[in-house]
Amino acid sequence: MNTSLLILGLNIVVVSALLSLYGLIIGDSGLVGIAASLGLAGGVIVAYSRAPQDPSTTSLLNYSKALVNTVTSVLEDLDLLESNICIARKDTELLMVYSKTPCPVEVDPGLGFSSGSPYLAIPIETPSIEITETSSTSITEESIERVLRSLLIDDLTICRGVKVASEGESYRVFITGLAEYLKDFTKYPIDPYTILVLTVVSYTTSARCVRLVQRIHMPEGLMLILRVEK
Amino acid sequence: MQSRVSLFILVYALMIVLSTVALYLLREQRVDVYISLNILSYYVSYAVVRPSISTNIVRIINIILFILFIAIVAYRIYEVLAP
Repeated sequence: MNTSLLILGLNIVVVSALLSLYGLIIGDSGLVGIAASLGLAGGVIVAYSRAPQDPSTTSLLNYSKALVNTVTSVLEDLDLLESNICIARKDTELLMVYSKTPCPVEVDPGLGFSSGSPYLAIPIETPSIEITETSSTSITEESIERVLRSLLIDDLTICRGVKVASEGESYRVFITGLAEYLKDFTKYPIDPYTILVLTVVSYTTSARCVRLVQRIHMPEGLMLILRVEK
Repeated sequence: MQSRVSLFILVYALMIVLSTVALYLLREQRVDVYISLNILSYYVSYAVVRPSISTNIVRIINIILFILFIAIVAYRIYEVLAP
């Protein structure tokens, strides 16, 4: 919350109330109109004072960078920088898995070995999304696109457009207009767009594993090619 | 994000000042004209600057202002059709 904007807005509302009172007393409806207009502007400023502030965004970015650097170092030590990235479902929990083996079956959160190769599994928070479809068979590219739009554009405002195309069990997700402050993260193994898209696809399709096949950087945005393993 | 909000408030305030001063100099006495022009200024500045804020309170403000604008326009149309 921006306190200075809040105080400014409240002051404008108080001044407009006094001005409208004065306008009513002297019988000048033009002045009442100005006061009403001013009051409306005060209300808008009060509402906008609740917008997230820059300092919180900056500190969150610094925190995210520190976390990404740490995890990247761990992945480097485990020789998993060129690994497969997937979201595996373990009971109700979703795990982001970095492994040489595509979609390892038995994974636990943290570091471990599966089929003789190391993996790093990070528990992922399930996004707060609404799925209108009742059965998993009715999940289509349109419904995934709708959920992704709702999360990435409407709720998080981290991109301007999302397009989903499916070819069998593969999905192509094209994200355009990436947020400036998140563009750098797309060069790292832990990238918010990849994590969110994989999580949403895993959540909506209820798949056992959703694997990132390819991540293509384009001038307009990012193209993610995913494969759903049921 | 905050800079976009500041720019939006600046543009909105400038538009309000211009429209309100112009209306007062034209000796406009109808309160709803001031309010409807204010709402128009809000939506124009919102569309131009695009502060991209999706908090619930901003959504509510957008809906309330839209309903208020529709009500004012509907009242004016009603006045013309059924004087």
